[in-house]
Amino acid sequence: MHCISFLHCSLLLFLLGVWGIFFNRKNIVVMLMCIELMLLAVNLNFLIFSTYLDDLSGQIFSLLILTVAAAESSIGLALLVMYYRTRGTISIEYMNLLKG
Amino acid sequence: MHFFQNDFYFVLPELFLFGASLSLLMFGVIYSTSVSHGKPGLMKVMSWASIVCLAMTLGLVLNTPVHSTVVFSQSLLLDDLSTFFKFLILGGSILSILMSVQYFETENMRNFEYLVLVCLSTLSMLLLVASYDLISMYLALEMQSLCFYVLAASQRDSEFSTEAGLKYFLLGAFSSGVFLLGCSFLYGLTGLTNFEAYALFFAQQSNIYQTSDWIFVQIAFLFILLGFLFKLSAAPFHFWAPDVYEGAPTSVTAFFSIVPKVSIFGVFIKLFFCSFYELALLWQPVIIASGMLSLLVGAFGAFAQKKIKRLLVYSSIGHLGYMLLGLSCLTIEGLQSMLAYLIFYIVMTVHVFACVLALKDLKTGQRIRYVEDLKYLAQSQPLVACAFVLNFFSMAGIPPLAGFCAKFYVFFAALGASLYFFVAVALFSSIVSCFYYLRFIKFMYFHKETSVSVEYVQMDQQKAWMISITSYLLVYLFFCPTNVFLWSEKVALLFLN
Repeated sequence: MHCISFLHCSLLLFLLGVWGIFFNRKNIVVMLMCIELMLLAVNLNFLIFSTYLDDLSGQIFSLLILTVAAAESSIGLALLVMYYRTRGTISIEYMNLLKG
Repeated sequence: MHFFQNDFYFVLPELFLFGASLSLLMFGVIYSTSVSHGKPGLMKVMSWASIVCLAMTLGLVLNTPVHSTVVFSQSLLLDDLSTFFKFLILGGSILSILMSVQYFETENMRNFEYLVLVCLSTLSMLLLVASYDLISMYLALEMQSLCFYVLAASQRDSEFSTEAGLKYFLLGAFSSGVFLLGCSFLYGLTGLTNFEAYALFFAQQSNIYQTSDWIFVQIAFLFILLGFLFKLSAAPFHFWAPDVYEGAPTSVTAFFSIVPKVSIFGVFIKLFFCSFYELALLWQPVIIASGMLSLLVGAFGAFAQKKIKRLLVYSSIGHLGYMLLGLSCLTIEGLQSMLAYLIFYIVMTVHVFACVLALKDLKTGQRIRYVEDLKYLAQSQPLVACAFVLNFFSMAGIPPLAGFCAKFYVFFAALGASLYFFVAVALFSSIVSCFYYLRFIKFMYFHKETSVSVEYVQMDQQKAWMISITSYLLVYLFFCPTNVFLWSEKVALLFLN
């Protein structure tokens, strides 16, 4: 099968992540999950290219992305907990203290 | 077998800073929790210790024997350009800590992690400007952003600070996702991740315009540029910057507006001028468009702002537009003028934030937040008011000051590269932005309600020195900008050869 049909899958996942961020108006945990989905879709992209090109550096890149994504989501959750402590809500609608 | 045996010598400054920040962390954790010492706050000690660490790293960087070498299987490039940027980054970090020592005390901040995070993010920026591979670049970029998310939210009990941190996190993570997608397409097209390999590849593929891969090249470049412009807070992707910079504590805002611009520009120049120079026709229009939009947003966005920090953010977006203008010339003069502008920008930003951090009302304990709060300044602190005026004139580009020199040089380089329309837009926005700089001055000097007088907290010595030295530089660099220009020209020439 051609490389493009695999790319459809990973790009679809990426777009799902982007849509989730833009159309989600309710809570931040879902947004965190969407960011993870985006990073994983990019990972899949790297792996597809890596097998297609028979080159190892894509796999190394994807392993590193996995690690960074884990660190990123842990920081995100920590920020979320802090935000909940001060505001008592994690809804996006109330994230409007800082406006011009 | 000796893996990377000699490579570790070359990255000695980075290794030193890494060890030093871990030691700072250990020190902080042990002493801040020790009951026998009464759980001390440690902010003052830690800030001086981190300044010393950064200064020693600066010494190591400046005395490096290396002029051009590639280490760690081509993932880091240590050359004069990266030394130049490392100097600016370390200097900016030192100054931004130095100007906020008093702020930590008066605002009762007790989180020493702040300084460890500043050191670690400085380390990541040092690695970022040295990176020579997509993988090392991504890792350094992510390390920098992760430190910044936490720094923005470092005032844990403030609603504004936590909200700023969370907003920064969500948008920053999104932008790095998009950036990574661009990287993955680039990898898929070429099978390469090294910058030098990209340069060789694109130099050979001169007919890539006609192949069916061209659309993928376009998509990849669009996404990578989007990621970079987002991190720079250039115009179509600037919307997060005012919110984050306003919500974060002022010391963090100063750090954010001085240092990361340098590191991102450093890696941007390296990637685009070194690897993708052959494809300049593809990415130059994007830079031009973003630069023009930044100029206009910087000029017009600031009109509606009443808060000082937001206004300064818009002004820095405007300055970014001038730097992008210099960058989009694609010539040595353009690069040189952009590097010189970067130096002038750092001097002006250090100056203005030192002034803003110094002003705290003695009676009410309020910091100045609104532009209107400046109206008592000319009476109670005439010298600070004078320094403010000097800086705003310089930012607006009024002749006997450094800002004029910087702008003039950028315009000159852009005219040389026949970017006439861009220069016209830049001139127009420069004139428009004079308006809001003058509004500051109007509030300070021409607001006659002299019944109330406000006393401010006395400024500490470091800030007084900083303000006076940078004020001196603002005037001096207009009359003798030779050193700055020679230095930036040397770096630009070495780089483009």
